[in-house]
Amino acid sequence: MSTDTRRGPGRGRGLAPVYLGYVVAALIFFGPVLFMVWSAFRRNVDITGSIFDVTSPLTLDNFTNLFERFAFLYYIRNSFIIAGGSTLLGLLLGVPAAYVIVRRRLAAVGFMTLLARMAPGVMFVLPLFVLSVNIGAPSNNTLNFLLLIAAHLIITLPLCVWLLIPFFEDIPVSLEEAAMLDGCTVGQRFRNVVLPLALPGLSVAVTLSFIFSWNFFLFALALANSDTVPLPVIAFNFIGQGASDYGGLMAASALISLPAFLLTILAQRWLVRGLTGGAVK
Amino acid sequence: MPTATETQRQARDGGDVAHRWPRHRPSQRHFPGATPVSRGLWPLMLPAVVVTGLLVLMPVVYTVWLSISDRRPDGSNAGFVGVANFSQMFDDPLFWDSVQVTLFLLVVCLVAETLLGLALGYLLSIDVPGRRIFQGVMLIPAITASVAVALVWLLIYDPTLGPANQILDAVGIDPVVWLGDPDIAPWSIAIVDIWQWTPLMALIIAAGIRALPNEPFEAAGIDGASNWAKARHIGLPLLMPVISVAVLLRTVDLVRFFDTVYVMTQGGPVNSTNTLNVYGYRSAFIDQEASYAAALQLSLLLLVVMIAGVFTWWRRRRTIEY
Repeated sequence: MSTDTRRGPGRGRGLAPVYLGYVVAALIFFGPVLFMVWSAFRRNVDITGSIFDVTSPLTLDNFTNLFERFAFLYYIRNSFIIAGGSTLLGLLLGVPAAYVIVRRRLAAVGFMTLLARMAPGVMFVLPLFVLSVNIGAPSNNTLNFLLLIAAHLIITLPLCVWLLIPFFEDIPVSLEEAAMLDGCTVGQRFRNVVLPLALPGLSVAVTLSFIFSWNFFLFALALANSDTVPLPVIAFNFIGQGASDYGGLMAASALISLPAFLLTILAQRWLVRGLTGGAVK
Repeated sequence: MPTATETQRQARDGGDVAHRWPRHRPSQRHFPGATPVSRGLWPLMLPAVVVTGLLVLMPVVYTVWLSISDRRPDGSNAGFVGVANFSQMFDDPLFWDSVQVTLFLLVVCLVAETLLGLALGYLLSIDVPGRRIFQGVMLIPAITASVAVALVWLLIYDPTLGPANQILDAVGIDPVVWLGDPDIAPWSIAIVDIWQWTPLMALIIAAGIRALPNEPFEAAGIDGASNWAKARHIGLPLLMPVISVAVLLRTVDLVRFFDTVYVMTQGGPVNSTNTLNVYGYRSAFIDQEASYAAALQLSLLLLVVMIAGVFTWWRRRRTIEY
């Protein structure tokens, strides 16, 4: 790559200062995450010792503890039910909606999905909590899961619509017109022509919705009962229980973050759109 | 389903020129015989509209009702009380404190994230081998679950065992009580937010820098302008639209600042990190004052709607690209 391909004011500089900047920035912004993962593999006595002691032995005890003493697998399952359910529902509702928004050029509706992403979550918690009490959800695990999935739909549905819009925009109208000439109904056209072409978009929407729902804290904090709590809330509850069991807390944090880390590697470009609401393509 | 004659008529009228039309144009204007692709689609949207209505509008309507009535902790409701909850709010010093905390975090984080974001954004905009990998690494704070972020910073801030004080100690600075001191805790919380969101800000700014035209810089270079002058008088003004988008996105998120604060301090010590959002949550679920909490939450919604309004108005002025 020649230096001429550089754009903007940065062209024509040496590489060394740039990489020095990379190191400093990575130390600051990646350091704490690295520290979290590292601490997850250290013994408590070392975590509370010096951070400069990089030769301290590594161990899996923090993780085995989580699974054996705190039944972490159970909470992972809960997280999967809630994030999986809300992603699936978000997709079922969001895919046709995004398609109509694009084909009918409903720019205003498309923009409103962005506004839905901006609404403060606390607004929804109180009404949902009252609803939950009225329908007896606190004592009924199935109802509780359904309510949590519905609540997380507030996150996944706008996100799905928002992410899918550019993918549907890329499908040429002429293809659909050809299908229409061949006598396809709206449903057939959607199933056989549009959906297969939007497949990459669907996978992006699935991954991002899943992660955002997986990470979400507030709704489960207020609505989940002790059988339905997902990972973020159970990790929060650990703070009081395992008084300064930092190894356990860091192992839990690392496990919660695992899907997100994988996503950063796999779908970086789409992550940016998901996080910035389209400000960056 | 179109009949055979319809299909024939479409073919005769030039159905195969469809691909020449600009995308998304309603077909019938050019091609009266065809069923436009967009016709009959609205039922597909109905489920999403209904569900959004139920999920978003009903809670808002219910919150409005709560805020003008008196819901008791036992679940009964004493009925309409007018603006009592709101006048209680205006007389509540904690409400004004929480507004102040919210605005403090908003201003401190925005200023720091913008300035650091400009620096890091410039770094991210330079094309060198490995830039994409570095960009991926920089995304990690933003995508890490906020609870995990809060937990790791709890450990970092630990007054005796935490790395923050160990590092300060190594360079000869006295230990700081990061989260236990009401004067320091808001700053400590701000640092976490700045840490988590500066890279995203930088990414947006970097995309803006990379889209800048080269010509103005070259022209200024010929006129003998210094690099600083070029950045200050050409780069910055050209970047303003991108920076404003990033700032508005962060503003909306900062106004609803919740997860990190709630996990790390629950609004303490002495309510020094009690943001409007945290206060609204605590009133509802810890103080069990649902109606008062509803009033607090509506004031927060008003704030967000005002910001979103500015955002909308600002985007309208530019071309809408969803």
